[in-house]
Amino acid sequence: MSLGVSIAALMRASLLTTMRYRASFFGEVAMAVAWAFWTTVPLFVVFDQAPTLAGWTTEEALAVVGFFIIAQGVLEALVDPNLRAVVEHVRQGTFDFVLLKPIDAQLYVSLHRTEPLKLVHCVVGAGVVAYAAKAVDAGPVELLSATLLMFAGLTLLHSLWTVVVSSAFFFVKVDNLSWLIRAGLDAGRWPVSLYRGFVRFVLTFVLPIGLVTTYPALALRGELKPSTGLGAMVIAVLFAGVARIAWTQSLRRYSSASS
Amino acid sequence: MIQVTALNKVYTVPKRGEGLWGSIRSLFSREVEEVRAVADLSFSIQAGERVGFLGPNGAGKTTTLKMLAGLLVPSSGERVVAGFDPSKRDPAFLRRITLVMGQKQQLLWDLPPIETFALNRALFGLDEAEARRTQDELIELLELGPLLNRPVRNLSLGERMKCELAAALLHRPDVLFLDEPTIGLDVRAQGTVRRFIAEWNERSGATVLLTSHYMADIAALCPRVIVIAGGALRYDGPLKDLAERYGGGRKVVVRTRDEAPETLGPFTREDGALVARLPSAEVAAAVDFALRQVAVADLSIEEPPLEDVLSKLFAERS
Repeated sequence: MSLGVSIAALMRASLLTTMRYRASFFGEVAMAVAWAFWTTVPLFVVFDQAPTLAGWTTEEALAVVGFFIIAQGVLEALVDPNLRAVVEHVRQGTFDFVLLKPIDAQLYVSLHRTEPLKLVHCVVGAGVVAYAAKAVDAGPVELLSATLLMFAGLTLLHSLWTVVVSSAFFFVKVDNLSWLIRAGLDAGRWPVSLYRGFVRFVLTFVLPIGLVTTYPALALRGELKPSTGLGAMVIAVLFAGVARIAWTQSLRRYSSASS
Repeated sequence: MIQVTALNKVYTVPKRGEGLWGSIRSLFSREVEEVRAVADLSFSIQAGERVGFLGPNGAGKTTTLKMLAGLLVPSSGERVVAGFDPSKRDPAFLRRITLVMGQKQQLLWDLPPIETFALNRALFGLDEAEARRTQDELIELLELGPLLNRPVRNLSLGERMKCELAAALLHRPDVLFLDEPTIGLDVRAQGTVRRFIAEWNERSGATVLLTSHYMADIAALCPRVIVIAGGALRYDGPLKDLAERYGGGRKVVVRTRDEAPETLGPFTREDGALVARLPSAEVAAAVDFALRQVAVADLSIEEPPLEDVLSKLFAERS
């Protein structure tokens, strides 16, 4: 109960801060739509040359792009602004105030500085996914498993982010690492099966961006083996666990900026 | 309420070479240096006490406060605050303490202070009606009324500090750690903060551990002081005894009608007046003696300035 109140209060403060800067809701919507359009352009260029690519049709690849847009929305709305805020807190020592609140610090820093308007990207992304789902005739089972996998993917993204934030306690300046996650995610706009060798290995096992975009799209096509889907979930939970350990370990190392 | 036993904190600080070449070298071979910030510190504070925590810059005051608030893990030693081990950061513990730092702020920069209050009420899971009452009480005591709806970035330093205090006390903590709450404030704002701390301590019965470099804060607020230097305890006791022990006693100045003699009993001549520095117990006798021996034009008895007492104490090597 009180957790819900805390989360609502954090979101409220973020929303009020965003509104202070008169960010226009309609401007954000226009940006999200334009951005979605630009993200799909390369897809149409490529599929203009070949009807399928490594077994993916245009619509199927569009689903990948849809999940990619959703992930990017989450990154822009939740992950990135919070990361920048935490780095600033650690650098200036105001992270002390985070630790003085009787609420889980990991939860607090994941939510304390969000940009709710950017979630519009997620709505647009969901629209693209819905269109693709209709085109490939996805049934309720496919939709459900795709949604579950998407959340597994987002959990993974958040875990990666948490590890980056944890490293802030050792290296202080880690804003640049967020660009690494971003660049990694950018590779996720294409189905992972398009990549070969080393890159594919990295995108599947090291920075498993494929889990964020490709696997949900596969699930939508009904081509994901239950074992693979289950494996993906296990990986997501595993990453979340590793992230939690990294976080608690670095909290112990936190030395606070001296007065 | 606060029990500290043999507390130690050692930082390892990377040693950086000088200049560009040194910086490049330290990229590869990192030499570290151990800095002992707090050394074998022990003290205990009863519930409701107001204690001044004094020491020169870098003495380990802030480090100690942060260890007591659960922000830093000590290298060794024990501490119990309000019945808890601070390191565990138990939510029940965090609800009973607060830390105010004069040099850092928790107020949401772009929003009016009232929004930080609302956020803290939610994060601390406070009962709405009770928290509102506390909030109104704090608003009244600190005269925050006109500030509540202005963005924090438009407030003056003194106004921000008052709002910081309110934000930090909404959950009615039993232990207040105040780290230089008056730093950078003008004389009037310092007075306001000081009066507020005293008043709040009276009303809530909260324990206060306060650091400050302004002796006026300490003199006004803290019957007891703990002095540390180089991380180690130098003095723990009543403020008034501090002057007695380290101030070289009280200064008795006697101006005479005629020219003063070179020496007279305990007195010697300084700038044309007879001056003696004596322990309190001997002052009366010395004054009596002077009144009998010379024609007195003016007489004064001065407490040694607290600043002098402390700089003497800080300079002393253990």
